[in-house]
Amino acid sequence: MNWLQSFKMAFKSIMSKKGRSALTMLGIIIGIASVMTIVSVVNGYNKQTMERINSMGTNRVSVYAYRQDNKNIFDGLYDYCLGMSDIIDGITPSASIWTQGGVRYGSRSSTNMEYAPQLYLGSDQYSACNNFVIEYGRDISKVDIVNYNNVCVLGARAAKLFFDYLNPLGESLSVNGVAFKVVGVYKEKDPDSDWSLDNVIVFPYTASRAINNQDIGSLSEFIIKGKDKKSLTEIVSRVDGYLSTVIPEGTGYYSVYNEGQWQDQSNEFAKTMSLVLGGIGFISLLVGGIGIMNIMLVTVTERTREIGIRRAIGAPRSAIVSQFLVEAAMICGIGGIFGIIVGFAGTLIAGKLIVNMILIPGVGVTAAAFVFSVVLGIIFGMYPAIKASALLPVVALRAE
Amino acid sequence: MLIHLENIYKIYGEGLESEVRALDGVSLDIDNGEFVAIVGSSGSGKSTLMNILGCLDSATRGEYYLAGEDVRSLTDRELSQIRNKQIGFIFQGFNLIPALSAQENVELPLIYQGISASKRKSFAEEALERVGLSDRKKHRPFEMSGGQQQRVAIARAISTKPPIIMADEPTGALDSKTGQEVIAFLRQLNKEGSTVILITHDNGIAATANRIVRISDGKIIEDRLQEVSAL
Ligand SMILES: Nc1ncnc2c1ncn2[C@@H]1O[C@H](COP(=O)(O)OP(=O)(O)OP(=O)(O)O)[C@@H](O)[C@H]1O
Ligand SMILES: [Mg+2]
Repeated sequence: MNWLQSFKMAFKSIMSKKGRSALTMLGIIIGIASVMTIVSVVNGYNKQTMERINSMGTNRVSVYAYRQDNKNIFDGLYDYCLGMSDIIDGITPSASIWTQGGVRYGSRSSTNMEYAPQLYLGSDQYSACNNFVIEYGRDISKVDIVNYNNVCVLGARAAKLFFDYLNPLGESLSVNGVAFKVVGVYKEKDPDSDWSLDNVIVFPYTASRAINNQDIGSLSEFIIKGKDKKSLTEIVSRVDGYLSTVIPEGTGYYSVYNEGQWQDQSNEFAKTMSLVLGGIGFISLLVGGIGIMNIMLVTVTERTREIGIRRAIGAPRSAIVSQFLVEAAMICGIGGIFGIIVGFAGTLIAGKLIVNMILIPGVGVTAAAFVFSVVLGIIFGMYPAIKASALLPVVALRAE
Repeated sequence: MLIHLENIYKIYGEGLESEVRALDGVSLDIDNGEFVAIVGSSGSGKSTLMNILGCLDSATRGEYYLAGEDVRSLTDRELSQIRNKQIGFIFQGFNLIPALSAQENVELPLIYQGISASKRKSFAEEALERVGLSDRKKHRPFEMSGGQQQRVAIARAISTKPPIIMADEPTGALDSKTGQEVIAFLRQLNKEGSTVILITHDNGIAATANRIVRISDGKIIEDRLQEVSAL
């Protein structure tokens, strides 16, 4: 007997008792759908987090340091880091600033924008530390910082907010009433979110005096960009050592933190979530599988006489085994397909509700879900199928 | 010799107080083309004998050669092939599969031979035609009378054109006129060359056979040839 015949036979048998088949499938449907949803949402969320971390910049060390006497720390730290250019790519303040007057260009004002741009004070290495690349014009330069130039560079989103498709280069933005010339625009790097990393305006850090009338000594948050992940530990220990000399006990506070840990933690967290939630889904699948076994056992008992008839007219044991195996695998496979459909819907809904993202299960997850449900059917159909085939024909024929 | 039984025993619960010797040392030879009636009272062991002859059951002891082959040495697959190709069974209770139509029931043995769908269809139609049920192909067993169901069962038994037909009380569930038709059909098959083994406790039906084997308490007590009375 060929496989096509077995499939036809199994399909017929499943369709002849739709209600029971549907109930049997329910366990598989719920199990597959929930595992798929969980895995897809966690994966999708983790992928986005990773992308965000990457576009913010990887291999970074963040430094928090101030002196009670507001003495300038940054310039010294900057020079110290220049001396380590073999393992350090850049250093910049990373403070965002707020101004009462906001930023204006013509009739456009940040004070009445839904998502107003973030304003940052940076060094000439701000872009290196934050994975920005100049698209038009030029970056902030050392000269701008030394000369207290009133210039700024726009992120792609901020440029669009103020200038649409006009060329912003050479135009002046009014920041808290002070005019700043736009000298450059960064390339877009984070297109798909409302709180885009591109919605920024970066000023030379010495501009804080013109904008807020604040001293450079009040800057306390800095970012150091390491060459690679390996160098971070050394950077942390050396910067820590340097700061201990600049800020002796009792004169202020400092901390040096390796951001790479962040990344690892986020990865680790996603893995644990996947395992725990996926595990729960897996258990529900096992319960579904036992349901299949139960129903198949009932089916075998009900159809003992049919098995006897088939044996009497020439079905070998293997044909009986494959008949019931195919039937179990098919119930699970069909359940799996419905489960996948529900899983797609579940992923879309859960993605929107929980992490506010449009997520779709990947091809791999989908294929794995289908294969797994069929395998589940084969595993749990095995015992009933073998049981069905083990009876002597004469015994099976005598069954009522 | 087509069938050769020697000292066949079928003992249930051997050694126990409740031991039942359904067959108690049966020796029997049946040749190609014979029409044998196995008769005996209820519980005498007729069905047990047929189940062993038909490879549906195995003997507790004794030798069974079918077409020269030692049945005891065959694998499940080989025994299944014998049931499929060499023997056509007709049972008292018809034993049709209720979920399948007449046509599908008749096709079943052919499916296990791996015959293509189109050939199966034509073989099954031919068999149904022979039993006069061409107009009931699509009907399911519960939509047919007992006589019609038994004709479907006969069509199933002959769809593979087996050399041996085994019928266990094929008329037991039928009225006498329908029963007569079934017996006439078996005679016709025998005339065309099939070996027919017919089990019955009806002496009138037994009288239509060329040879009568009578058993009682699991033993053969009579084995004789006879002139066939005209039907
Ligand atoms: N599985 C079994 N366990 C124990 N005893 C059995 C079993 N099957 C049959 N028997 C016994 O074997 C004997 C022969 O049974 P069998 O079915 O061959 O009788 P039979 O001649 O076909 O009777 P009937 O005309 O009523 O069909 C009976 O006494 C029966 O009770
Ligand atoms: Mg009987």
